[in-house]
Amino acid sequence: MHFSFFHLMPWTDLDEAPTQWPARNGAFSGPRGTEFYKTYIDTMAHAEDCGFDWVGCNEHHFSPYSLMSNPNLIGGALTQRTKSIKLAMLGNLLPLLNPVRVAEEYAMLDVMSGGRLIAGFVRGIPHEYIAYNISPDESRGRMREALNIILKAWTEPEPFGWEGEYYQYRSISIWPRPHQTPHPRILLSASNKESAQFVGQFPAMVGLTLIADLDIARGLIDTYRESAREHGRNPGPDDILIGQGTCIADTDEEAEEHMAKGLAYFHRVLMRPQQDAQRIVIQKTRFFGEGSSGAGAGEYFVKRLETLKQRGIKEQIEAGTILCGSPQTVIKQIKRLRQHLGAGHINMNMKLGSTPESVVYKSMQLFRDKVLPEVRHL
Amino acid sequence: MTQVSFAERDYTLSTGVLRVRSGGAGRPLIHLHSAAGPRVSPVIECLAQSHRVHAPFMPGFEGMPAHPGVDSVQKLAGVVAEFITKECGGSCDVMGESFGGWIAMWLAILYPQTVGQLVLEAPAGLRPRELGGLPQDPAERFKKLHAHPGRAPKETRSDAVLAANRKTASALLEALPFDHALAERLGEIQSRTLVLIGTLDGIIPAESARLAKANIPHSHLTFIWDAAHALEFDQPGRVGALALDFLDRGESFLVKQGAA
Repeated sequence: MHFSFFHLMPWTDLDEAPTQWPARNGAFSGPRGTEFYKTYIDTMAHAEDCGFDWVGCNEHHFSPYSLMSNPNLIGGALTQRTKSIKLAMLGNLLPLLNPVRVAEEYAMLDVMSGGRLIAGFVRGIPHEYIAYNISPDESRGRMREALNIILKAWTEPEPFGWEGEYYQYRSISIWPRPHQTPHPRILLSASNKESAQFVGQFPAMVGLTLIADLDIARGLIDTYRESAREHGRNPGPDDILIGQGTCIADTDEEAEEHMAKGLAYFHRVLMRPQQDAQRIVIQKTRFFGEGSSGAGAGEYFVKRLETLKQRGIKEQIEAGTILCGSPQTVIKQIKRLRQHLGAGHINMNMKLGSTPESVVYKSMQLFRDKVLPEVRHL
Repeated sequence: MTQVSFAERDYTLSTGVLRVRSGGAGRPLIHLHSAAGPRVSPVIECLAQSHRVHAPFMPGFEGMPAHPGVDSVQKLAGVVAEFITKECGGSCDVMGESFGGWIAMWLAILYPQTVGQLVLEAPAGLRPRELGGLPQDPAERFKKLHAHPGRAPKETRSDAVLAANRKTASALLEALPFDHALAERLGEIQSRTLVLIGTLDGIIPAESARLAKANIPHSHLTFIWDAAHALEFDQPGRVGALALDFLDRGESFLVKQGAA
């Protein structure tokens, strides 16, 4: 199996949850922000020493939830701090961005890292569309078209123009092109049936996160595989990545206590401000599609987040949402996920909410020394 | 867009009679049809808003007799060159659709003085034999021509006319999917050229468009998103606006214009 160390770069100095979207930034402090970036980049670089295969970044806007409004900048820093670990951008919020710029920045990261980029593209969570003033109704169309432009930008040998529905370019010829040929490995996320089918249409890995029910997750993975087969590909376990909040400690009790505190901050403070914006986007736009299937997917999205928030640690472990416990316990949990979902790649987020750095480092160390040797061969 | 009426007229050339459908007012523009024969597409209607569009019925198509001795694409180019010389003041812009694009490329090579700017829509003649091609089965052929079947033109022509069109076209297209002589001479094309290819084209592969782009010195390649081979029907708005901008502004079409 393969493992990724994922980081959201949260702002953890808030005592009170912001109640409005976007979260007001009056409490932000420049010097403290600099400290956060240094600490977090050090931690992410340390993942290489702990045996992780990838280190992962992602993109969020207008919230203490994440200080990574452009993950590619963090990726750029990591190209200079690491030697062999793959740099996974998980991913750029493609429908919000200029696809040519994304193709260029990803190509730069791939070349700067000597071919270590994993190119993730995500449609994002609903409220992000407010930040860049892009209609959520257009998210799927933009995603599909932008992805095709990027693949062309990476592979076309001749300068080319593009006349599309959302994007028009008269001439594209990026420098540099990616280091990897024909292009870096691609990862796309899937949180519902439509997106799982969509991912299967591309030469891409699928990524699932915030799993609330193992059987539903298995269904999405099956849908992805079926769609990929229809398009002439047969994805293996290594093409399936699942995200897991993770805490490993010397004992189950200790790990659960840390996880409970971290998740409490995550849900109570970091996730709070976007709730209203999310509700507006889901209810008033076609972000999840037309008609009853769109409404169903929207309802499922809200229900899933609400369910996760209300569940206790043991329930979340049982549902396949998190990995938590002593090394022996986490090994069993990983084996169970491997067996049930057929996933060959786990994306671990150890900095959950306000989890202290000492706890994160302890988790990383136990993963390297006790867990990885027992699960690598799976 | 104002309604443009098109009229057909027969011109007597040195090789025979050439029927030409013309409409619109402005700079002359030759539109060379595909193997499906001449049709008034929304793109032609768009171009006719600002151009005098001449759409010749190539000899052997649409019930017109073949011209004696005109048995190759190069010779068809000669027919078009004579028409331009006699009726369009000696030179004009040329737009060729698939089979018509093949003729247009030879026209620009053999009679460079007759061609201003060139638009090649999924041009035939440069197709590697193992890629793409026109299926024999009508349903399969239709599927490969149209990504948006609802936008395909309603067929009003007789079966006999359509069969004759296919026979004339296939005699050239199937005999020579890859025109080596043309490929070797693409570098001689001096006209500024815009090559268009649909992202869903299953008849002319993107390789053909790339080859044209790579070898025609002053050329541009543009992918038309969500279009199969029949570009003028699948995405008339995108093709019409782009072609018009290119024809109007030449190389400046690369630069986006601000609002007036």
